[in-house]
Amino acid sequence: MEHHLLFQPDDWTPLAWILGAPLFGAFFNGVFGKRLGKNAVRTMAVAVMAVSFAAALYTFLQLHEFRHGLEAAMGAAASHGGVKEGAELTEPTRFTWLAWKWLSMPSADGGGRLGIDAKFMVDELSGVMMLVVTGVGFLIHVYSTSYMAKDPSYHRFFAYLNLFIFAMLVLILGANMPLLFVGWEGVGLCSYLLIGFWFDKEANAAAGRKAFIANRIGDVGMLGGMFLLAYYAGALDWTGITHGSQGLLQPITLYQAADPAKSITVSAATLTGLALLLGCTGKSAQIPLYVWLPDAMAGPTPVSALIHAATMVTSGLYLIARLNVVFTFSPFAMAVVASVGAATALFAATIGLVQNDIKKVLAYSTVSQLGYMFLGVGTGAFAMGFFHVFTHAFFKAALFLGSGSVIHAMHARIHDDVKSQDMRLMGGLKKYMPWTYFSMGAATLAIAGMPLFSGFFSKDGILFHAYANRVVHPFKHTAEHIVELCKTNPKMPACGAAEQQLAAYWEAPRWLGPTLFTVGVIAAALTAFYMFRLMFMTFWGEFKGWKVDSAAPLALDPFANEEPLVDEPEAHEAHAHGEQAHDEEHGHEEHGHHHEDLATPAAPPAEAPWTMALPVAILAVFAVFAGFLYAEPLRIEPLGHWLDPVFHHVNMVSVHLKEGAEQLEKPLMVPGVLAFLIGSGIAYLWYVKGEGKTPAELAAAWPRLHRAALNKWYVDELYDATIIEGTDALADGAALMDTWVVDGILAKLTSAIASGLGAVLRAFQNGVVHVYAAGIAIGALGLFVFFGRPHADVATTKAGEQFTIEATPGLGYEYKWDLGDGKADQQYTTGEAALKRSITVKQDETKKVKLTVKNAFGREVVREVQIRNPKPAPTSSALGLPGAPGGQ
Amino acid sequence: MNPALLMFQKLWPALAAGTVGAFVPRRSSRVERLGIALAAAACVLFVTLLWPDTVVEAVKVPNAERFPHLLSWLVFIPLVGAGLMLFAPRQAARTVQWLALGIMGVELLATLVLFRLTPVEGKYWLEESSPWITTFGIRYHLALDGFSYWLIVLSSVLTPIATYVSFGSVKTRQKDFAIAFLVLQGAMVGSLLAIDLFLFYVMWELMLVPMYLLIGVFGSADRVRAAIKFFLYTMAGSLMMLVAILYVVLKYRALTGELSWDLPDLERLNFPLVTQRWLFWGFAIAFLIKVPMFPVHTWLPDAHTNAPTGGSIILAAVMLKLGAYGYIRFAMGLFPHAAHVYGATLAGIAVVGGVLYGALCALKQSDFKRLIAYSSVAHLGYVMLGIFARNPASMEGAVLQMVNHGVSTGALFLLVGVIYDRRHTRDLAEFGGLAKVMPWYAAVFLVVTFSSIGLPGTNGFVGEWLIMSGAFLSKGTLGQWGRSQAMGAALGVILGAVYMLTVVQKVFFGPLDNPKNRRLPDLTRREGIALAPLVVLIFVIGLFPRIFTEPMHITIEPWVRDFNARVEVPPVEQPTVSPKPASPAPALGGE
Repeated sequence: MEHHLLFQPDDWTPLAWILGAPLFGAFFNGVFGKRLGKNAVRTMAVAVMAVSFAAALYTFLQLHEFRHGLEAAMGAAASHGGVKEGAELTEPTRFTWLAWKWLSMPSADGGGRLGIDAKFMVDELSGVMMLVVTGVGFLIHVYSTSYMAKDPSYHRFFAYLNLFIFAMLVLILGANMPLLFVGWEGVGLCSYLLIGFWFDKEANAAAGRKAFIANRIGDVGMLGGMFLLAYYAGALDWTGITHGSQGLLQPITLYQAADPAKSITVSAATLTGLALLLGCTGKSAQIPLYVWLPDAMAGPTPVSALIHAATMVTSGLYLIARLNVVFTFSPFAMAVVASVGAATALFAATIGLVQNDIKKVLAYSTVSQLGYMFLGVGTGAFAMGFFHVFTHAFFKAALFLGSGSVIHAMHARIHDDVKSQDMRLMGGLKKYMPWTYFSMGAATLAIAGMPLFSGFFSKDGILFHAYANRVVHPFKHTAEHIVELCKTNPKMPACGAAEQQLAAYWEAPRWLGPTLFTVGVIAAALTAFYMFRLMFMTFWGEFKGWKVDSAAPLALDPFANEEPLVDEPEAHEAHAHGEQAHDEEHGHEEHGHHHEDLATPAAPPAEAPWTMALPVAILAVFAVFAGFLYAEPLRIEPLGHWLDPVFHHVNMVSVHLKEGAEQLEKPLMVPGVLAFLIGSGIAYLWYVKGEGKTPAELAAAWPRLHRAALNKWYVDELYDATIIEGTDALADGAALMDTWVVDGILAKLTSAIASGLGAVLRAFQNGVVHVYAAGIAIGALGLFVFFGRPHADVATTKAGEQFTIEATPGLGYEYKWDLGDGKADQQYTTGEAALKRSITVKQDETKKVKLTVKNAFGREVVREVQIRNPKPAPTSSALGLPGAPGGQ
Repeated sequence: MNPALLMFQKLWPALAAGTVGAFVPRRSSRVERLGIALAAAACVLFVTLLWPDTVVEAVKVPNAERFPHLLSWLVFIPLVGAGLMLFAPRQAARTVQWLALGIMGVELLATLVLFRLTPVEGKYWLEESSPWITTFGIRYHLALDGFSYWLIVLSSVLTPIATYVSFGSVKTRQKDFAIAFLVLQGAMVGSLLAIDLFLFYVMWELMLVPMYLLIGVFGSADRVRAAIKFFLYTMAGSLMMLVAILYVVLKYRALTGELSWDLPDLERLNFPLVTQRWLFWGFAIAFLIKVPMFPVHTWLPDAHTNAPTGGSIILAAVMLKLGAYGYIRFAMGLFPHAAHVYGATLAGIAVVGGVLYGALCALKQSDFKRLIAYSSVAHLGYVMLGIFARNPASMEGAVLQMVNHGVSTGALFLLVGVIYDRRHTRDLAEFGGLAKVMPWYAAVFLVVTFSSIGLPGTNGFVGEWLIMSGAFLSKGTLGQWGRSQAMGAALGVILGAVYMLTVVQKVFFGPLDNPKNRRLPDLTRREGIALAPLVVLIFVIGLFPRIFTEPMHITIEPWVRDFNARVEVPPVEQPTVSPKPASPAPALGGE
């Protein structure tokens, strides 16, 4: 079979270009950027992204061609064999490139070696993801060249941004779990650096730290998952995990009770899935670790678009999709993934309803949309969930970049970081920023689920599969089959075992699918509502920014139609982020006539320059049309077909449509469309027709509810009070214990004892002769008392059955022995011979020896000794047996 | 192919690195450009030359014939150098400095020769043995294998760095300072190489004296108390070890009729379990104090806080490792059953008392150096966990993590020294927003921080990964709690991020509101030169760990196998001596 490829599939060096270009850009901008000036930085940053994107595109096309060749060959073989069916690939097509051998560790049993190479791989899944990252990344780089134009740390920004792209590509393209983890932590690092980009605001730095630590909590899960994979699957690279995944079906006993029925046993796959899910909830901002993402909006807006919407936060999804075999081995873990997703989708949407900060709305919207993706992959709709990653990347990036343009325009007028993001001060901007308006409008329609827009296809696909999919244990069908057979043929040998097994295979309860579906639909309605609310408040109505005095505190703002921001101190802090860089630059140019600006009607907010407007428009175009890559209801599914080999195995074995669900596909679209209509309709009624009166009334009617939603249901406060305070208390305890208990006993107490003893002894060394004489006298008395009494001490030594008993000698001592053999000494004897006696004691026999000692003063003392000759103890593996015989 | 072209093919990465390096400095002299270019090229060459898969011509000549006295050179260059320093004029500061650094440079060159050794599986790679005090059977026996290999390199790299950077801040008594450092280096290398227990004990105790002086003379406010605490703690442990050593040696004489202090001889002794327990603790306590492990760790924060920067670097980077090294070599080597019996318990202490407790304590420190000292306790908890888990992966991880900790924590202490020299305070509350005035300092600090919290791609991750996965995958060595302990250690990863990032946030981010910090100068050239190799090592170990683990593996894998075999035999009831191995063949070079 001929493939006209320039490179070998197993040595696909273009991957080096895809990865190397952004890395080079990061290095170049970081080290030389400041010296070479903004133009050089801009050129370099955008150029490396272009190179990376071009190489990615080339790779993707070649992969496509290669796969096409394989399919054609298979098709030819199939038709040759007389099979008419179209050829389906069952394995993903892969291009790999080994950079170097990173690490090799001895495997579990110490025999083999577990190689962990710096090896990169592109297949159907990572190919799409790679295109999204480099493509959207390229657009956002272009956008940033203008957005950050006035920032003095321009070079630093682009160095971080390029580094981020590199790390993200490592995450996607890494051919094994630890390498993915390198990227995973790398993007976390870049996120940390970029959230705290304007680090001289305490809040920004705190937000960065919060993000990193929340992700670190997830990393514990990642580590645990990797260990379990290494142990049970015996490999950490993707192909090895797939091949060894059967090992994950082994049970693990979590809690061993005396009664085996009470022991808790789960399969390794469940544990692995849950551990990895913990990691994913960190990176992809799901309950319970989502709290960092809204705060992460402290970073520059392009960063929010690239990292905290389009790419990094989807890496959890990528991981689950990548390890689909592992996850589907445990229907329980899958159900948890889906439930977490649905819960997050709804929960975050409720918070998004009431936020006034434009970026906060989008942040919660991101959390909510990520929830949908989890719902998708958790119900086994891997391709559909991944498709939502794809569409979301476009519409959310467009929304964030558009909001960035809006903030940019507002900031040029208001010169206040918080207020320029407050939607209550916007309005009517469509007149001034038409490009931005139309782009964001298209993206809003997409995210809200307007039929035929991209978000509609991906979201409704997910909802349909949430309702209709059934994830089963891979062996369940076999077991069912055997049980079926047994009904007709009860004498089959495996019957009893199969029935037992069948009962042990967990499957999600029937109500779960419809529940997830309902939650998803409600969240969809909320999504439509808050997104249109955002659009209407920002672009429709009157521009309210004319009347803003940036010097006045916001609480006095007459336009605060809802809770004054003062009630939200944290929000203040969190986005008291500085576009201070702008301020500084503005300071030079405009600070002098800053106030005149406000007094006189200033220039109206202006449309963003083309470098900013164009990327948004391009993204918006994709947001509109990308849906046709996987329009399941229309049966236009190029993406689905493309991804099929990656999920082929699980689609064959574990994931099935419920019986009769095919007919439901069209009817189940109705609630989704209704949700869109209701959500957007209410937003229109309330914010356009009613000019925001109804929400204000509602907020007044339920002030506590409103405040709770505004304050994100106090989850941050809850975490503060429990986990953070708890750790803090533990740390306090540890620090106190270290000072007062550990050091107290070992150092302070011992030194106190030593110095106390010293003080006592020092009292004797006082140089007074009387005291010394008294000491001598007391000592002499003591000696006299001691020697006045005889001491009958004996030592026994053994030689076989012969025992020798030896008495301690003493001045003037006389001895009388009674060995119990009826020949007791009648007279006292002295001398060497008198000191020692021998006696024979047979095994398991005990003899008594009596010794009488008389000293020079004629005082006597009697000592009786029992001599035993025990049986030798049975030899045992003495490990762990304390006090084994034969000790010294 | 054209040989010139071939040469180019081999050397182009180094050339490229050199070219880039030459452009790095802004408005600097040609010398500096050339220096950085050479250094960058040398780094790349170092990696390519040491790459484990590179096919090297097999050397048939045994190591011992090629480098007969290398080990003695390693021990005595610094010791004799210290003697030479006595004749240096006290007033000529530059002469003193350059002489000291020159001696350490010679030592470093001698260390480079180590890379030419052929690792030998399951044996010492290089040995040197001759009678010393014949009346008592004491031998002068030095040996090197995969356990000590990288630690010696570490000490040879870090001692000159610590000395060099100290000459920037220690302005008085520089000669005494240099002599103390040289003696310290000699003693450290000596303890790492000594195989004869008497020689080891001498070297072990010899380390104390210069460190005691470094803390007590050159330290900060509370230096005398800290020095005494350090000395007493270590001494208390050492004395127990001495008693145990004497018992073992006398027992050997009782059983064989000869006196020997030589480890290979004494390892042939088999003790009953009860005896092993006592002797094990005699050795183990001495080593665990040095490591230090909970609850005998409290000398460390005091010693670190009061030691001068250079002293802290060496203390953290090399001296603590001797505890872990000694535990492997002597406590485990001589008393396998006892080490096996206590392994699981001690691993629990290492995780709870070291990794977690140390990190929690670090969280609450307001003194910069104390905080890093506690982080050392946490990091060495990982090392000890790896040793107790006793699986080839975790052992390799433990030895690598010793090196990592030396590099990262050494760098951290160096960095704290930088700021201490400028502000003469270590109180974290005094700082804030320093990234604005000291961008390079902040950048390096951030790199080291992320290495210390084990970010993948840096050295910290590789070590922690090997240790934790090794512990997780270990079978039987940690009892039923093995996995919990590995996961407990993984929790330490979170705490590590918490305390280190809190420091970064407090010191570097936020507004620059303390007027005293407004005009702090960025890293000086001296500090930059001292930090550069450490930063490079952070990435070299992180990206190319196989350079380091493959040579270790050659020793560790058979060692673990042998150890497990010894443990599987039940302990004897009466002390016995195993026969000598048939032919003590000299260590042969590569096959």
